[in-house]
Amino acid sequence: MKIIKEIKISDNGFVFNSNTGDSFSLNSTGLELIQLISQEKEIEEIKEVFTTRFDLDELTFEKDFYEFCSLLKLHGIIARESTSEFN
Amino acid sequence: MTMEKSTYEKPVINKITAGVPSKFGLPVKPKYIAAIDGIAVSALIEKYGSPLFVFSEKTIKTTYADARRAFETRYPKVQFAWSYKTNYLDAICSVFHDEGAWAEVVSGFEFEKALALGVNGSQILFNGPEKSVEDLTLAINHNACIHIDHFDELYLLIELTRKLDKTARVAIRVNMDTGIYPMWDRFGFNYENGEAWNAINRIMLAEKLDLTGLHTHIGTYIMATTAYAVAAAKLANLYMAIHRKFNYWLKYLDLGGGFASKNTLKGSYMPGSETCPSFDEYAEAISNALISSEIPHENLPALFLETGRALIDDAGYLLTTVLANKRLSTGRRSMVIDAGVNLLFTSFWYNLGVYTSNPGSDQVEETTIYGPLCMNIDVVRDAINFPHVKTGDQLVIERVGAYNVTQWMQFITYRPNVVLITSNGNAHVIRRKENLETIKKQESKIEK
Repeated sequence: MKIIKEIKISDNGFVFNSNTGDSFSLNSTGLELIQLISQEKEIEEIKEVFTTRFDLDELTFEKDFYEFCSLLKLHGIIARESTSEFN
Repeated sequence: MTMEKSTYEKPVINKITAGVPSKFGLPVKPKYIAAIDGIAVSALIEKYGSPLFVFSEKTIKTTYADARRAFETRYPKVQFAWSYKTNYLDAICSVFHDEGAWAEVVSGFEFEKALALGVNGSQILFNGPEKSVEDLTLAINHNACIHIDHFDELYLLIELTRKLDKTARVAIRVNMDTGIYPMWDRFGFNYENGEAWNAINRIMLAEKLDLTGLHTHIGTYIMATTAYAVAAAKLANLYMAIHRKFNYWLKYLDLGGGFASKNTLKGSYMPGSETCPSFDEYAEAISNALISSEIPHENLPALFLETGRALIDDAGYLLTTVLANKRLSTGRRSMVIDAGVNLLFTSFWYNLGVYTSNPGSDQVEETTIYGPLCMNIDVVRDAINFPHVKTGDQLVIERVGAYNVTQWMQFITYRPNVVLITSNGNAHVIRRKENLETIKKQESKIEK
């Protein structure tokens, strides 16, 4: 999972896609999550960070993580995987 | 020392759309409803289940008192009649009757329900186009006020009263152009084309029909108070015409109901709570039209009112639980709750207010709220800015007191408990949740 190079993320939760001109806003957990994703950390690593920092169980994290990723994909923020792969 | 964990908020990303700014200005902290009349939503659901209808006796009484005050301070003789079809649960009707309201019914079933509650037959107004010979006989025998809808009913009454050798107290329903659309001309006799006047003349000739009043009901959810002024003026004209021709004063003019509640109609630009007229505004329009008509002050008739929706909508809540959060194929947020259109008939025409029961998240996202039915039409809100919630979170839908517990359907699932919180703060079940037995006892199998 890779954030495309045209995406710029500011420290206060503003996301800009220079490819399309779209902009987005994040809440604080959203910002933290997208920063970890942009560092190309794996889900297990991110889960560890989140469940340690927040009052949060693993299943809720997993559910919210995948929902967030599907929105990133929908908004064209992360690259779509190869078309041969079923997703 | 262990470090305390931070409160988690679901991560969200929202696309910023340039263009027309929100008409409601900057986002405010979402409203939530934690308790009803001092009882926590969670405690109500724990004890009585979810979904759950909750009514507030305190709100009913306050609303009714407000309506009475508005009219009684402007007009000398006012009588409210509780509109059964709006909500005919016994406990709810009883609150209105205890406060002095008569009964307004539109079927034999509702008539029987009012009698069973101890309402004196002479204090029942019998409206509607469907009155069978049995219904009319019951009404005549109980000296009810029968509001005649059409000529066939008028002639049936002439025949019945002769047969029974009894006098029936009657009024006619009058339909008229009050300048609003749609004009309800399917009920009653028309004013403008002289049909109402013809009906009055025929009644006055009948030996056993005692014409006691005139009735109109100009529509539903009427936001223009001027329409009521027009209606009152036209009834006043008929009232005076009757006096001039027959030297006879009727007892009452019934302006019906149709007052808007504070719910927001679909397609409205502004919320109903901002735009709906108050009881004072309706009262001012009606009373002023009657008092400034040519009716002499000493002969002013009693003013009957049958408002239902505006008296009960605010007193009813539906408590519900989040079953699931989902993303639609477009990425749009949606949510499934355990109460659907089977319980919320009014969701077809209102954008009902749905709220969380705790302060929760400040993050809102446009959401579609679906009910639990496996049916595509089961949409409680097609678009609402709603905070993020979890499965199991409890929500409150407000202003559902009118029509929902009469028009609800036993469809796919059972109808839930209905609770009334009395003025002293105690909750009582006033209609029990259905179960398999409730349904099965009405059915029979064909024995082979």
